[in-house]
Amino acid sequence: MLRFHHLILLAFGITTLLACQAEWPPAVSEAYDALPKELDFNIHVRPILSDKCFLCHGPDEAKQEAGLRLDLPEGAYQELANSPGKFAIKPGSLRKSEVIHRILSNDPEYMMPTPASNIALTDYEKAILIKWIEKGAEYKPHWAFMPPQKTKIPAAADSSWNQSPIDQLVWAKLKEKGMTPAAPAAKAIILRRLSFDLTGLPPTPAEIKKFLNDPSPDAYEKQVDRLLASPHYGERMAMDWLDLARFADTHGYLADRYRDMSPWRDWVIQSFNDNLPYDKFITWQLAGDLLPNPTKEQILATGFNRLHPQNLEDGIIDEEFRSAYVSDRTDVLGQGLMGLTVACAKCHDHKYDPISQENYYQLYSFFNNINESGLVSWEGATPVPTLMLPTDNQAEILAYLEKKIATQDSMLQASEKVETSAFNDWLTAEQYKSIPIKHTIAGQIAHFDLENSKLINRLNPSQKAKMNRRFSKSEHPQFTTGKHGKGLLLDGEAWLDCHKLGLFKRSEAFSIQLQVRLPEELTDGYLFHKGMGTRIHGFRGYHLYLKENKLELMMAHTWPDNAIAEYAEVEIPRKEWVSFTFTYDGSSTAAGCKLYMNGEELKTQVEIDNLYKDIIFYEMVDPIYPKPIEPGLKVGARWRGKGIKGAVVDDLMIFDRELTALEILQINQPEALQTILSKSPSALTDTEQAQLRAHFLAREAKHYQGQKQELARLRAIYADSIEKVQEVMVMKEMPKPRKAYILERGQYDVYGKEVFPNVPERILPMSDETAKNRLGLAQWLTRPDHPLTARVAVNRYWQLFFGRGLVLTTEDFGSQGQLPSHPALLDLLAIRFIESGWDVKQLAKMIVMSSTYRQRSVAGEQVRKADPDNQWLARGPALRLSGEMIRDNALLASGLLYKKIGGESVKPYQPAGLWKMNNATYFPDSGRKLYRRSLYTFWKRSVPHPTLATFDAPDRSECTVRRQKTNTPLQALVLMNDPAFIEASRVIGQQISKAIDIEAGISHAFLQLTGRPPQPAEITLLLHTQTEEYQEFSARPKQENGWLSSGAQPLDEDLDPALIMANAVIASIIMNSDASITKR
Amino acid sequence: MSQSNPLNPNSQLPALQRLIDRRSFLGKSSLGFGALALGSLLGSEGLFGNSTAPTARSTPNHLPDLPHFKPKAKRIIYLFQSGGPSQFETFDYKPKLYDLQGQDLPDSVRKGQRLTGMSADQTSLPIAPSLYGFKQYGKSGTWVSELLPHTAKIVDDLCLIKSMYTEQINHDPAITFFQTGHQLPGRPSIGAWLSYGLGSLNNNLPNFIVLVSKNTGGQPIYTRLWGNGFLPTQHQGVQFRSGRDPVLFLNDPDNYHAKDRRRMLNHLKALNEVQHDQYGDPEIHARIAQYEMAYRMQTSVPEVTDFSGEPDHIFDLYGKDSRNPGTFAANCLLARKLLEKDVRFVQLYHRGWDQHIGLPGGIKRQCQATDQATAALIIDLKQRGLLEDTLVVWGGEFGRTVYSQGKLTANNYGRDHHPRCFTMWMAGAGVKPGISYGETDDFSYNIVNNPVHVHDFQATLMHLFGIDHERLIFKHQGRRFRLTDVHGEVVKDILA
Repeated sequence: MLRFHHLILLAFGITTLLACQAEWPPAVSEAYDALPKELDFNIHVRPILSDKCFLCHGPDEAKQEAGLRLDLPEGAYQELANSPGKFAIKPGSLRKSEVIHRILSNDPEYMMPTPASNIALTDYEKAILIKWIEKGAEYKPHWAFMPPQKTKIPAAADSSWNQSPIDQLVWAKLKEKGMTPAAPAAKAIILRRLSFDLTGLPPTPAEIKKFLNDPSPDAYEKQVDRLLASPHYGERMAMDWLDLARFADTHGYLADRYRDMSPWRDWVIQSFNDNLPYDKFITWQLAGDLLPNPTKEQILATGFNRLHPQNLEDGIIDEEFRSAYVSDRTDVLGQGLMGLTVACAKCHDHKYDPISQENYYQLYSFFNNINESGLVSWEGATPVPTLMLPTDNQAEILAYLEKKIATQDSMLQASEKVETSAFNDWLTAEQYKSIPIKHTIAGQIAHFDLENSKLINRLNPSQKAKMNRRFSKSEHPQFTTGKHGKGLLLDGEAWLDCHKLGLFKRSEAFSIQLQVRLPEELTDGYLFHKGMGTRIHGFRGYHLYLKENKLELMMAHTWPDNAIAEYAEVEIPRKEWVSFTFTYDGSSTAAGCKLYMNGEELKTQVEIDNLYKDIIFYEMVDPIYPKPIEPGLKVGARWRGKGIKGAVVDDLMIFDRELTALEILQINQPEALQTILSKSPSALTDTEQAQLRAHFLAREAKHYQGQKQELARLRAIYADSIEKVQEVMVMKEMPKPRKAYILERGQYDVYGKEVFPNVPERILPMSDETAKNRLGLAQWLTRPDHPLTARVAVNRYWQLFFGRGLVLTTEDFGSQGQLPSHPALLDLLAIRFIESGWDVKQLAKMIVMSSTYRQRSVAGEQVRKADPDNQWLARGPALRLSGEMIRDNALLASGLLYKKIGGESVKPYQPAGLWKMNNATYFPDSGRKLYRRSLYTFWKRSVPHPTLATFDAPDRSECTVRRQKTNTPLQALVLMNDPAFIEASRVIGQQISKAIDIEAGISHAFLQLTGRPPQPAEITLLLHTQTEEYQEFSARPKQENGWLSSGAQPLDEDLDPALIMANAVIASIIMNSDASITKR
Repeated sequence: MSQSNPLNPNSQLPALQRLIDRRSFLGKSSLGFGALALGSLLGSEGLFGNSTAPTARSTPNHLPDLPHFKPKAKRIIYLFQSGGPSQFETFDYKPKLYDLQGQDLPDSVRKGQRLTGMSADQTSLPIAPSLYGFKQYGKSGTWVSELLPHTAKIVDDLCLIKSMYTEQINHDPAITFFQTGHQLPGRPSIGAWLSYGLGSLNNNLPNFIVLVSKNTGGQPIYTRLWGNGFLPTQHQGVQFRSGRDPVLFLNDPDNYHAKDRRRMLNHLKALNEVQHDQYGDPEIHARIAQYEMAYRMQTSVPEVTDFSGEPDHIFDLYGKDSRNPGTFAANCLLARKLLEKDVRFVQLYHRGWDQHIGLPGGIKRQCQATDQATAALIIDLKQRGLLEDTLVVWGGEFGRTVYSQGKLTANNYGRDHHPRCFTMWMAGAGVKPGISYGETDDFSYNIVNNPVHVHDFQATLMHLFGIDHERLIFKHQGRRFRLTDVHGEVVKDILA
């Protein structure tokens, strides 16, 4: 690619050639003459500079060719770095502005943009740049980064257009364009428009009748208020928000599993219905967990940040996907809430907008501090961190149990006190001296001593262990010299599988003891574990792991947040026998987990102490685990983890109670125990006394033991109860923020400079007082002087009502986005929105009350030609209904709709076998669940529901703020043949058949489906059709017919089937016609 | 309510009059409404789908500046082998490995390259040579595994690329990357790009058709692989399924016949015309055209999916599975029929190549299920003169490791994902036949000669269709997007 500094001489030649208009290409001259008198930088110039020049001469500092940037005047006006004495832009001078010569040149070596860029300037664009430079090349800040401005509201000539500033501003624009507004829409038409826009549902015949018969001047406003107060309002508003928030019922990616986030969706619906102010609405979602004393709802709202796709493909690099999730949150903040394509700055500085790559990772760092995993676990556990959402009934039971446990705990402590005197007597009487030095310890359930080269539990010889390795049937034990007699030599891949031994719940106390001789060079490997693979199952179970020469003790439901993990940093002897003992008291706390080496307790550092669900699998089954999985203890290796290759193990023991320190000495250091026991009471150290006391309580104190058993029983009930409680993904800040870096080229493992939370300063700096966390970010975002948040929100709501935003590019308010069609109106709405306290219902009401909204959507040929996309609003909006609305319309019209709000997503009809390619099976629901609003249709990202997907529903793998609006033959097939529509047609057909006369029946069906009575031409046509269809079907022999058998609704056997069929066809014709599927 | 008609009644009478005229016309016309409506609308509305997408009110059949140059390929059939077929047991013959069986992969070969979480923690990485023998075939003397006897016979028609590579190490990102040029969801698939750029060659079938082999098991796949991303929805692939309803909702209700549907559509059109007279919205006509297209599909799809006209020797050529709808073999035969009808892009997905364990048995089954039909497709296209302007592509999303994942025994092993090199092939339109391009080291671990990146493959594919991959762009969110992102070089050496 050629740079500005090349061919200076040539440039000179051309300079003299093209300096005046007479020498410009004629087409440019012509375009120049047609330009408006005044140019505005933001309206006329920036879009050209941005789209055609910024790629190489814009904000991306790494890509400023020839050191030139044209996005800032300082850059454009300064002397060219490589061409002394020359300037890209010399305000007022065409001759001295290199840009002019370059854009007018045809020389491929010299022209700009370069031919290699595949970007070209039109004659109009060249003319604009010429005129702009000629007039002084004035720069202005990008409109969207300046706070909204109040402007004078011009009066409209028509009094009905003078009631609302919306109308006055639209009027002014129409006047400017030489257009006039349309008449108000007919009452039935506007009521249907309003009902769909505010509730997503059509008006019922009764509602229509009431409105048509209401002559009062505020009849329309009454409808607006009624619909805004409807509980379906929240559902309608939620539909768009769910696209933005990429809400789905599955994780996405390869093994696209179910995850239930419906409580979050229901919160959204409720929030709209409660009219939660928009600033709070987004603050809760971004940072509800960081609010002071957050409520459950506020924490639940943060699920917003966790709705991104999550990967459970085993083998992925955890960090690669964790990083993708953090990016996704950042991108939704950008696109959804700020209308900025911040994602473009992930790999390099933004090419068009003032967002550097550093800015991107500063934003990223706000979302980086949650204790999550890139690989979500296979068994379907809710990815951590989570919020437990008990039902009221469950909450009551849990609270009761918690109280019981607390009481029992204090009774246990009391009992311990009571036992003190007994202990003192026992001590003084030197009864401890009768503790046996070597003895079979109570609670021991297994001992694998490996003698006679057998893997048999010496305590119960019917229990056999075996060497095992996944997908291998030929593993054999290898015996060598052990600690005592034989020991088991490990190859690092196969494990000693104790089958169901060692299978404990988190509420059960247990201990595991093992002798091991580690080879010199080994730094990493699993000594023992209970569980399946490693990350693929979120480390569910427990393990002792040699990790970088440290010992890791873990118990997990779902690593990393729902787990206990602690480390011991200790020199571990090599090439000699070492014993490890893990004891656990059933308390689900780190304090209840102890680790001993050679009989001595090790000091550990607790990394996480947050186990709140169980550590077993509850015999899960699954396509890859057709047989229930519930493994017990495994020694020496782990599937897809590192094993202790070359190590020898011996004397594996399992106990179903927590061993005391003295018991561990009994097993491992009888001589040390003997030393203690031989002392007189006064000679015992404090530690020894404490050990004896613990031993006394565990073995001698009957009352205390009784209390302890009761506590264990209550804990077990509690733990089992909480398993059934619904869990949802939420945000939870880590106590210590994770470090964040610029990721070079956006790659998860290529760290650049360290970054800290901050916002793009050139859009709006964050004040020093604002906390540098998500809450601070939300506060910044909802500041009244934030140039984007309110504008972006009101634009999205405008789009919801008009089908297109005042800024067409709802997702991009940046330099490459479209300019607002009505800048003053956009600003006015934004300012009013903020001043109203971010009141969404008030905004919605203001829009739907306007004359602009209430216009007829019908337009003459001329108006349509002049403004095919209706951006100037000389008519009302006419839009094809969304897939959800089309189906809901048919359901409501047929009376099938089940209007329940919220709850788990449902599975209506869907052709069989669609999920098969995703290794899953769709089981449709039955009964009323078949007729829920489409908003609740199960949303599987990998195989979207065809009824909705065919009508442009996105797959919700990413934020979508603007759906496509296509018109395809597949849509026709859905409406004609999807059983949902066939069934609804038949049900309506039955209703028609039962009407007093056929005309009344058809008219009523028409009204139900289209919100208006048929015109004479329509009813004439339909009656004619009905006669023809009835003749056709009654002439046929009786046979099974799909119109009659489709769907779960029973056929009305009292009616003439031919009549039902004819009328079902009539209903289908109406349902497929424009009057049904288009909102006019 | 009928007495207080809330609608403006202005245009009722003329509408009714015209309606009656049309109905009497229909009675006489043997063509029916379908042909009439389409004939009058085709010029402006496009053949398959009409868009009012965010950026464009309507999309013409093809982009005005396309093709950029004379294309070699008119159509493509892409036989996607999902899961990552092993190069060791198919095309990349590595005899030196036999002496190294069971030895650990040398660090000098691995060079610290990342492994998946499935084998990264293995205690050893034992070298596993192919259990299956290789021989040279054809004039080109190309080495082919004994598992692919049929492919071996047509090897002189193939252009093997042994030096494919990708950055993606796991299925989802790797397949998504191959099909859309980006590893995360959201971008348009290759077929969507071609449909968007080049438009349709026919007017009664979808432009981009997807066939998924039934009952294969294996890694799951998902519709976004043939999705339209940010391109208008009508460019997404349409899945043809085996069985009664090849296209979702194609079939009318039982015992509701084509003539019933025709009648219904005529009535619907008449009703829509009344509404058009009322609202004057051209979208209504666009929609009528889509209903007509749907109707044509109701005829053309069953026709094209009906195998009863195929002679026995064709079934024999494709193998006995070809009589069993939904199998790979039947889908190959169906693909040929679709290509004959000028469907632009047919993509088959055949799953089950992900042999982490038990590879020798698994890959044998996969080859048996696909080899004959694959070769048959080439032979069949050739004998019909279609291979000249049809591009055939075979390949998966990555290769497999030289070392055994899991236990290596004398007759069993597994292989993990390997993105650093793998083999795929192209044949037909504009591609050099009978060559092998690129070379891997003795371990098929690294490429030593002529690497071909996924983006290069995509650029080359587009080139064969007369598209400069750097110039087929779509502006979305302010950015000019293309299939190959900012990468990709056409592999000139393999062009005929």
